[in-house]
Amino acid sequence: MPQPKPTTNIGPSSPVPNSSGPSSPPTPLPTGSGPGFPRSRRSLGLPGWNTGKRLIQPLILLGPAGLWLVVLLLLPTLLLLELSLIPGFRLGQPPGAYGLGNYVTLLDPLYLTVMGRSLTYALGTTALCLVLGFPVAYWIAILAPQRWRSLLLLGFILPLWTSSLLRAYAWITILRPSGVLNSILAGLHLPGQAWLNNTPAIFIGMTYSFLPYMVLILYASLEKLDRRMLEAAADLGAQPHQTFWKVTLPQSLPGIAAGSLLVFISALGDFVVPDLLGGSSSMTLSRLVYQQFLGATRNWGLGSSLSLLLIGAVGLAIALLLKWGNRDSDGSLL
Amino acid sequence: MAVYSWANYSDQELIESFGQATGIQAQVDTYDSNEVMLAKLQAGGGQNYSILFPSDYMVTQMVELEMLQPLDLTKLEGLDALMPQWQNPTYDPGNAHSVPATWGTTGFIYDPDRLGFEITGWEDLFANQDKLANKVTLINDVREVLGSVLKSQGDSLNATDLEQVEAAYEKLLAFKPAIANFITNGWEDQLASGDVLVAMAYSSDAQVLIAEQPNLVYVVPESGSSVWTDTIAIPKTAPNPEAAYAWINYFLNPENAVALVTRLRFATPNQATYDLLPADLQANRTLFPAPEILAKCEGIAPLPDAATQAYDQYWTQLTSA
Repeated sequence: MPQPKPTTNIGPSSPVPNSSGPSSPPTPLPTGSGPGFPRSRRSLGLPGWNTGKRLIQPLILLGPAGLWLVVLLLLPTLLLLELSLIPGFRLGQPPGAYGLGNYVTLLDPLYLTVMGRSLTYALGTTALCLVLGFPVAYWIAILAPQRWRSLLLLGFILPLWTSSLLRAYAWITILRPSGVLNSILAGLHLPGQAWLNNTPAIFIGMTYSFLPYMVLILYASLEKLDRRMLEAAADLGAQPHQTFWKVTLPQSLPGIAAGSLLVFISALGDFVVPDLLGGSSSMTLSRLVYQQFLGATRNWGLGSSLSLLLIGAVGLAIALLLKWGNRDSDGSLL
Repeated sequence: MAVYSWANYSDQELIESFGQATGIQAQVDTYDSNEVMLAKLQAGGGQNYSILFPSDYMVTQMVELEMLQPLDLTKLEGLDALMPQWQNPTYDPGNAHSVPATWGTTGFIYDPDRLGFEITGWEDLFANQDKLANKVTLINDVREVLGSVLKSQGDSLNATDLEQVEAAYEKLLAFKPAIANFITNGWEDQLASGDVLVAMAYSSDAQVLIAEQPNLVYVVPESGSSVWTDTIAIPKTAPNPEAAYAWINYFLNPENAVALVTRLRFATPNQATYDLLPADLQANRTLFPAPEILAKCEGIAPLPDAATQAYDQYWTQLTSA
């Protein structure tokens, strides 16, 4: 997946010089002060035109996507925030007074256990995807013949074309006690595994689901690797493993961070795999949200506070990446 | 006319024959849980539906929420043919807002030869727990599971005494090593292959599998379990109530209903329809359990908020333990 090579950083801590001060929008649009636009300014000669243009251009360019974000992301999130501040809110009942009751409930050890489990699943899946995905991405990006790369990559993301539900059911068929895996193990005179309805099934199912994302992102990062540096390292007598740890890995760190983040976020919110493969002890945050909204209690207040907790966790992860990714990429990589 | 229904209560043939009989073109959307249906209607996404199929407790809830039209009983024909226990159901006294369409029970489905012992109730499962490690699936519904264990303790399916509920929870917690998963559907393959030995299931789902695999047996615990009724009701927002009455009358008409029930194989609460059924369906104990067992079953009723919350807590504990 080729990407434009040198992209500038965006975000609040962007090192791109911004002459018009912190209050101006961080868009790279011509603001009239850039070197490429003096002629057009002079030829128009209307003093009000420029301020109008400064407002209209971002409006036209950002308007549709902005409207989309406001209507489908910002407003629903604000609505969730409001619901989460009404303890025990149930649809169809008169709402009670505002309060922090729902968030206090979240501190119950019971819910903390569920959060811990969700985090464990998400972190474990991320680590597994990284360990399994890096060699694949490295091989496709660096070692495989050029003409095969697209095809190999396509082959890797092909499973994403089927429904995640279908893939989970396929894993049931493979992992169940009399399933494919245990038939093979029995044929090899190895002891059978009771992985289905247990934690291993969750890690297997989620890693399988999210590995393609990791490989895609790592590939994009490794493909841009400056090979001359590898050659230089070899010329200067570095062992292959030294080259890997000192040249390849640091250069792909932003890719590793981005891939890990994407997998972590997806795994944290995954519902299908824990539900179908995880067995009787696999309550996770996302399943708990479902239970609060569509289960017997219909406690939308608690459900909203759980949702906001998930949103907050994901937001925090993104914020960390922006900060961390910037510091290490010195503005020239990702 | 738009109908919002469970998946297994209608087919193309029903829509065609209903269209021929009444000239009304029905269009059916399906849902898989009462709560999903309720949430969709409450969120304003169900304005086009004239017919709903809420279950018993959901009827009560929706009547409280003033979401269902009171039925004009003079427009309905054949209500008196309903079986006695559905003449005046507790969930909707006098069938004022709903007409029972189908019903069923909750029980266990298993293969007696493979299991090696017979199940008459929860005690048999608890006593043989060592043979059942990871071999039992239970319905993914707090009220069904806790309610059924409550019945085995001699308590009500709708117990609000939290000590009784806790006792039921403790029993399930001790039984946890045997519970492979809480799933309402999806146990079928695993039961057929022997990876699961016992599945708690709705009678309607159980009989579908038993029709294919006669070695399987469905049993309602002798202490009783839940008996559920899925009804037909008209939402307040129905754009086409006249067509909705035609739909209900079509279901109440024994000649129409018997074809549907024979085809889709669900239990009818209508005595006149039952009498017209083929003998093998009438004798089907999965669909129509013995009256003495049925007498011990209860319908799931809405609980006060405090009790609901307690049930939910126990459920979260059970599924996280």
